[in-house]
Amino acid sequence: MLPLLLTAALAGAGAPHGPESAFEETIKPFLQRNCYLCHGARLKNADVDLQAFETARAIVEDPEVWEKAIVKLRTRQMPPPPMQPLEDAEIAAVTGWLESEIERAERARPADPGRVTARRLNRTEYNHTVRDLLGVTLRPADEFPQDDAGYGFDNIADVLSLSPVLMEKYMAAAERLARAAVFGAADLKPTLARLQPPLARIDPDTRPLHVYDVDGLSLPNALHVTHRFPVEAEYLFRVVLAGQRPAASEPLKVALWVDGRRVEVQELDPDGAGSFYDDRQDFSGKTREFRTRIAPGEHWIAASIVGLFHGLPAGYGGPEPSKRPPFVLEFKPRPGLTPERLAEARRRFEERLKDVAPANDARVRHFEIVGPFEPAKGPSRDSLRKLYACGHLGQGHAPACLRRNVAALARRAYRRPVAPAETAPLLRLAEAAREQGDSFEEALSLAVQAMLVSPDFLFRIEKDPRPPATTRRVSPHELASRLSYFLWASMPDESLLRAADDGSLRQAAVLRAQVRRMLQDPKASALVEAFGGQWLQFRALESLSPDRERFPTFDSHLRLAMKRETELFLEAVVREDRSVLDLIDAPYTFVNERLARHYGIGGVKGQEFRKVYLPSAANRGGVLGHASVLAVSSYPNRTSPVLRGKWILENLLAAPPPDPPAGTPRLDEAKIGAGMSLRQQMEAHRSNATCAACHQRMDPLGFALENYDAIGAWRGQDGEFAIDASGRLPDGRSFTGPSGMRAVLKQDRDAFALAVTEKMLTYALGRGLERYDKRAIKDIARGLAARDYRFSALVDEIVTSAPFQMRRKDRSSS
Amino acid sequence: MNPITGRRLSRRTVLRGLGATVALPLLDAMTPALARASGAKRPVRLAFTYIPNGVTPADWTPKGMGRDFEFSRILKPLEPFRDDLLVLSGLAAENAKALGDGPGDHARAGAAFLTGVHPKKTAGADIRNGVSADQIAAQAVGRQTRLPSLELGCEESRTVGNCDSGYSCAYTNSISWRSETTPMPPETNPRSAFERLFGIEDVALTPEERARRAQRRKSILDAVGERTRQIMGTLGPSDRRKLDEYLYGVREIERQIERAEKDQVEVPPGVEKPAGIPATFAEYVKLMFDLQAVAFQADVTRVATMMIGREGSLQTYPEIGVPDSHHPLTHHRQQPDFVEKVTRINTFHAELFAHFIAKLKATPDADGTLLDNTMVVYGSAICDGDKHTHDDLPVLVAGRGAGRLHPGRHLVYPKDTPLTNLYLTLLDGMGVRPETIGDSTGRLEHLDA
Repeated sequence: MLPLLLTAALAGAGAPHGPESAFEETIKPFLQRNCYLCHGARLKNADVDLQAFETARAIVEDPEVWEKAIVKLRTRQMPPPPMQPLEDAEIAAVTGWLESEIERAERARPADPGRVTARRLNRTEYNHTVRDLLGVTLRPADEFPQDDAGYGFDNIADVLSLSPVLMEKYMAAAERLARAAVFGAADLKPTLARLQPPLARIDPDTRPLHVYDVDGLSLPNALHVTHRFPVEAEYLFRVVLAGQRPAASEPLKVALWVDGRRVEVQELDPDGAGSFYDDRQDFSGKTREFRTRIAPGEHWIAASIVGLFHGLPAGYGGPEPSKRPPFVLEFKPRPGLTPERLAEARRRFEERLKDVAPANDARVRHFEIVGPFEPAKGPSRDSLRKLYACGHLGQGHAPACLRRNVAALARRAYRRPVAPAETAPLLRLAEAAREQGDSFEEALSLAVQAMLVSPDFLFRIEKDPRPPATTRRVSPHELASRLSYFLWASMPDESLLRAADDGSLRQAAVLRAQVRRMLQDPKASALVEAFGGQWLQFRALESLSPDRERFPTFDSHLRLAMKRETELFLEAVVREDRSVLDLIDAPYTFVNERLARHYGIGGVKGQEFRKVYLPSAANRGGVLGHASVLAVSSYPNRTSPVLRGKWILENLLAAPPPDPPAGTPRLDEAKIGAGMSLRQQMEAHRSNATCAACHQRMDPLGFALENYDAIGAWRGQDGEFAIDASGRLPDGRSFTGPSGMRAVLKQDRDAFALAVTEKMLTYALGRGLERYDKRAIKDIARGLAARDYRFSALVDEIVTSAPFQMRRKDRSSS
Repeated sequence: MNPITGRRLSRRTVLRGLGATVALPLLDAMTPALARASGAKRPVRLAFTYIPNGVTPADWTPKGMGRDFEFSRILKPLEPFRDDLLVLSGLAAENAKALGDGPGDHARAGAAFLTGVHPKKTAGADIRNGVSADQIAAQAVGRQTRLPSLELGCEESRTVGNCDSGYSCAYTNSISWRSETTPMPPETNPRSAFERLFGIEDVALTPEERARRAQRRKSILDAVGERTRQIMGTLGPSDRRKLDEYLYGVREIERQIERAEKDQVEVPPGVEKPAGIPATFAEYVKLMFDLQAVAFQADVTRVATMMIGREGSLQTYPEIGVPDSHHPLTHHRQQPDFVEKVTRINTFHAELFAHFIAKLKATPDADGTLLDNTMVVYGSAICDGDKHTHDDLPVLVAGRGAGRLHPGRHLVYPKDTPLTNLYLTLLDGMGVRPETIGDSTGRLEHLDA
């Protein structure tokens, strides 16, 4: 039968003829022609026997193998050569029929919303929750054991286990938090932390540049660290220097920066003009001390040398040369030398002169942070507001007041209405303390401490349907928690709790309005960090360690800037409710001077990030132009088109390639850079039929990004080989470079919509997706497309989907 | 698995802990008085050190057998301790192999190293492994010390994305498993580890304050324990499993509080609280080893595990001229300069381990040194990191186990001897006599003579 006839025949399928006749008349002949030879009763290649399915009904009852077949047909992996390639229309007709039949059958069955196991708060959620519950900025969970991840995320209920060590930490944290909320942070003894680059050796650029970073932040002689400060207090920063500066220089300036803000600049050796005896000033071990008040939490601390090439003697050609009298090295031989000795002395003097020349390698060797000193005393105003539903600190309190405070706190801590019977044990603890002579505040803090180690706080436990029902809608309060941990990685706030209390959260309009409000809240940055950071994997930047020899420009400053770009970009998509397709080809991004330089974008000065529009010549746009994504999908010392291609298939196209079969020969890295370019080597790899099936999908995508090196900078060459960024997908589409690939991805927006849906739904539910979720995934992705791919549409569709709104009973055995 | 229900270890619990068909072993913990009489003077300590991503086999295996063996390149840093070492060849982790589960050798190796069990392939929904050898020991002898066991690790970065071919990161992150479903994640912060060992936090407390705090903690635990038991009945089986873990933790803290009332653990002289994670990897690993040695010295615990890296580690080692990521590097296809770098990493790890052995040997304990009374297993459940083989594993044991081991030899066992046979023998040395561990088939012979 001709493909066109087939298409026409199938177009009418479903209605008058019914699926069975369509199967008999069109599908079966197609399978006979193209599939049964290998996947039939005789051969059953790869354990697949399509011939065993004798009716349409049989297909829809056991659809998994057919879903695989659809993918294989569409991606042209099947039928393989030497079989005749199929025509597009024919493939579209057959796969379309299969898909719609399977879906129709699935929709006829009752939906299975799945079930989330009792889920303990993970580290991020714990920190955010205690912040919102108690107004305390301690981040105790930073010291909890790491949360294991599953399905690519660290908020998966089944994977989050609770070891005895973690229980110990919960106990200690509860005490610290309760006391910090009621009495303010405890007195901590000052401690010293020494922070230095992982490699003691750094190689500062000693050439007097005319165009350089005056702040010194992006020069290799600065030191950047992130450090966690336990409490708000004053801290001492001791900056220890090394290196030298030529004689007759102006004093050196050292600056301390906190979160990109310059705190103070100090001159080193301010009045010791020429007070050194050699031709150079040696800074080894010289220190400068800074004292500043710091808010608790993690901060980016940097020490830099400001105006490194300023104030050098005029001969060095730097800006603003030194006004000090020139320091001249004179040749003053001892009198009475023999001519030979004199010549030797002159030779040595000249050697020394050469050695003296551009020599400004002053640098920050390490620094020490000592503190806290003079920490803030007493509870924060935020804590007071959150703790006391009635009464005030230091005043007389009636017993009824204790009860009211505890009840109000428990409602928020447990994220639901709390019966008097549940608060009774908490009150008993508090009252027992009162009877022993403890203050009202002591008693309250004890009740808070007990709440914080209660399973009602540590876990999100949802009720199972009451038999004989097998599914139920989650309660309004369970829904409120699902929403807040999805969008904020934290507890519901008062507005959300109220909407749950009066049940209005169940109304579509109220739910939608809440989502809108929550996405605009600053707390939604958790969605960017936790969901975005794990989906796009830029969280891996934390431990990224590119080869220093090959990528000397990579330092923590660049690391932080890379992360910030992607965060700001995603935040813009969330806050401005932009299209998620911006992730593919946004004509804008966010850079500061450091990152702009890395990208070769001119005209950006200073540490602040700003939105920049990208001309096509900038070769950026979309997350695949972000250095963060490009770096985390590379090896430390080279790019890998395979890694990047796999990254794109997995994260942006919902088509993860299967793991390589056992015994697959690996890429022969030995030859790369030697006799063959990476591309030639990859092509050799692909000539192996086993490898080809997957690599012909992965590699072209990866090669399109080859102009970005392993830290995301643009390059024209890879070693001695010119970059060839062209590629051809198995479906025949050819493209070149990032812009070409962006166009291809934009065409595949349906696949992208599925990918972002699957990832976000996994994160939102805190469980892996199963077969029965396919229906919901498709509906969400369709809804997203129908609403112009707006970010809020994605969130709306997810929070109104059956898996998010419903819960089924536990089918596992004990 | 249900948690232990009494303060004392019931035999039933132990049997469950071991997995299945166990006869009736007599455990020291069931007879605390007896144990104290026989073991208090020279308690035996048991430690496991894990190295990720396998080794370069040719550079690991010593030449020669018995007493007259020649140290290989990787093991060279351990040569000063020749008389304290047993290098064991021929041991295998059968259950780290695919056995039909396809790729994922790193996850399986991490999971099976101490359990000898084939982990269930899952990204999360139904994680299932076995109970690890250290935890079998801890469940038996752990009641005699303040902490039943200590789990340390030297890779503190967060994992991102998928860990290994459809396996949850739980399998690569923890070698120690308290139950089939509960991994014991390692502590990676030296300061927190120190605080845990000695119960010292940043806030200085007077003895009265301390006692009062213990009292309060107890009353809080009573309250939440009761509450948990109330809600347990309303939960489905998978939710109940999570709350079981919680209750186990609650009881463990109760036990610790009671114990702390009886004897306060003292910080050995000269030992100071670490400020944080040291800047270089070598200092970091050494510090964690030091903490483990101090824990043994002060008898805070007798069972410890240490992961120099998590399985599949991506650590780079620029300080030894290896700026490459460890795991990708091991897939070297015999390319000589890559093999060289892998060997360098392996040797570096052995050097760091030598620091630990030196430390144990320099610490007096009872009538000898700490090393005399300790058994430390060092190794991996992957042999060749390139080919992902799980037989002829790189394994050695340091220490004398209070006379139970006869070190100074390279022993070669028949191919495919289960690694867990070694653990059976070592656990015997602790006075724990499990019938089987995972895939074990019997005791490993010749360790004592």
